[in-house]
Amino acid sequence: MSTRIRTRSAAAAVVLLAGAVGAGVVSSTSATAAAGNNGRIKNVIYLLGDGMGRTHVTAARERFYGAAGHLAMETMPVVGQVSTYAVEKKSGQPGAADFVPNYVTDSASAATAWASGVKTYNAALGIDAKGKVVPTVMELAKQAGYRTGNVSTAEITDATPAGQMSHALARGCQGPSYSEAACQDTTVTGALLPTSDIRVTPIADQIARNGTADVILGGGLARFDAADEKALQQQGYTVLGSPASQKVATRGDLAATRGSKVFGLFNTGNLTIEKYKREHPESPQAAEPSLPEMTSRAIDLLAGNNGGGKGFYLQVEGALIDKRSHANDAAQTLEEMKAFDDAVKVALDFAKRDGHTLVIVTADHECAGFNIIEKGTFTNAEAAAPPVNTDGGNTANNSTPTRPGGNVKDPSRSTGIVNGAGASDSRNFAPATFRTPDDPATVRDGSPEASLWLTYLSGNHTGADVPVFAYGSGAEAMAGSIDNTDLFNIVGRALGLAG
Amino acid sequence: MQNRHAHALAGFLVAAALVTTAACSDERGAEQPPAPAAAVKTAFPGLTPASGEPTLDGLSQRHPAPGTVVTVPGPFDDRFDFTGLTLNRDAVSGGVVVTSDVSEILELQVVAGLYDSSGQLLHTGRFVHHRGEDGHDHGAPEERESFSIAIPSQLRDRVVSAAVGVPVLVNE
Repeated sequence: MSTRIRTRSAAAAVVLLAGAVGAGVVSSTSATAAAGNNGRIKNVIYLLGDGMGRTHVTAARERFYGAAGHLAMETMPVVGQVSTYAVEKKSGQPGAADFVPNYVTDSASAATAWASGVKTYNAALGIDAKGKVVPTVMELAKQAGYRTGNVSTAEITDATPAGQMSHALARGCQGPSYSEAACQDTTVTGALLPTSDIRVTPIADQIARNGTADVILGGGLARFDAADEKALQQQGYTVLGSPASQKVATRGDLAATRGSKVFGLFNTGNLTIEKYKREHPESPQAAEPSLPEMTSRAIDLLAGNNGGGKGFYLQVEGALIDKRSHANDAAQTLEEMKAFDDAVKVALDFAKRDGHTLVIVTADHECAGFNIIEKGTFTNAEAAAPPVNTDGGNTANNSTPTRPGGNVKDPSRSTGIVNGAGASDSRNFAPATFRTPDDPATVRDGSPEASLWLTYLSGNHTGADVPVFAYGSGAEAMAGSIDNTDLFNIVGRALGLAG
Repeated sequence: MQNRHAHALAGFLVAAALVTTAACSDERGAEQPPAPAAAVKTAFPGLTPASGEPTLDGLSQRHPAPGTVVTVPGPFDDRFDFTGLTLNRDAVSGGVVVTSDVSEILELQVVAGLYDSSGQLLHTGRFVHHRGEDGHDHGAPEERESFSIAIPSQLRDRVVSAAVGVPVLVNE
């Protein structure tokens, strides 16, 4: 069916569009209410764990709640899976003759997919793969009169938050300064664009001036300067801290603000990992709000200043899941997963009280091939040879080549647990072991006795589908297998933006 | 699967709306909602477009002593350390070790001011690291980047000191 759709002419699509919208595609009132919502959606809270694959969810559940426990996101009534592939530069959209997929996405391409409903190339933000500017759902929501918010533990100019409130040929064009290498891409445009073109305007400059998000909370103060602060204030933002003086905002600043439009960045770069803040409570970084704290405050600010009852659209990113997965640091990855799930709980609790809120929890891509292996076993990266295959002569299962043996742990490559006694041996690949609530109290992280054994495939993204969890009217649209571009339409329809 | 296909259709239609309605925006009736393309702000009055490559104010303010390589402040000084800064007849060189991230360095620029014996700035050179076109299959994350900024041949007899700083740094 999809092939038939994709080969329709553009003119036919426009005709269909008129009919479909006129028939009520924008309405969510007739949709089945999922888990108690009454069917009329006013708010959408879209949370994503950057780099969060299915195993990240399972591992965090087992680490913090045990095998029989549940993360908050796992209590949501609708579960599906999302394909995440990107496309190459100058590719057409799926179904077009010039469609060229790239099976492993980055955060920029993925953010553009759900924010604007188009496939694009890795590094692109708010444009399609041929460089055409496409509106984002946050821009459309703002245009339609919704309150809007964007929260991240990364720099707010980083790919995921920027995907909703900027348009750039290259995600590296973050600011504070323009540079040709970071901002231009003549492979896409054919020639250098004038520096007044939005697609080569530093992302920080765009965010400070386009007013797309009413509430902006995260990191990345170093990307902004005095001119940005002035531009924000002229639009009515309450600026916490100061881009001009590079004074970061604090948890106290956030708690005290009553502004309708709030800009608060709590670190010059990415926010600090939860593990460090927990272990260094007197450090300046411990004054940064956590992701659940930012989420709670953003909801308060958006719902409390709800634009005459229209509602709000809020995006929340747990960014450090990905950044610590790149580093194959399972301990920090797990704590960032916990913080993200706590933010999900904040959103869910609000949705259950409110009765008119759709909550979506998903990811942009999987990072690092995270896996749970059986206690006491080892990975191929630690082995002298791949698993045994001695059935080369069996006509029912004659895989080649025949491997009669050798699948044993290679002591010259990896000697032990990476976060225990073996942590000082740089040759060690894995596993990292963690105690869980199912273990006896005497069991420690990094010991062979710990029951949760975690490994990584690489230090990079993978092409695996990611999970999606949903609550509220319209959530059923995310059951089964969907593509990340479908999320644009699902959110747009919930907010009535397509009409 | 039927559900998925239904959404694929709806998504396609919305995407088509985004692309097509912009061209028809002048024909809309007054009661119709604004065109989706109008949601994008593409111009920012008061923002002066960049006129060249980034530099650092400190380069024109420093007068380093002969034989030295000093550093000047930039917006990302809490994210990296300089290592092995050296100046010889041909180049100023060294390394940047990113201390704030372990993900790949997407963008890095090092600017170098070159000075004569009186401390006068003679020339500004630049090292540019830009991630290549190899998609995302890029191997291990990098934390270190070596740089070398050549001294123009006509200045080699006059350059006696240098200053370096980082105006551009982006990690994935």
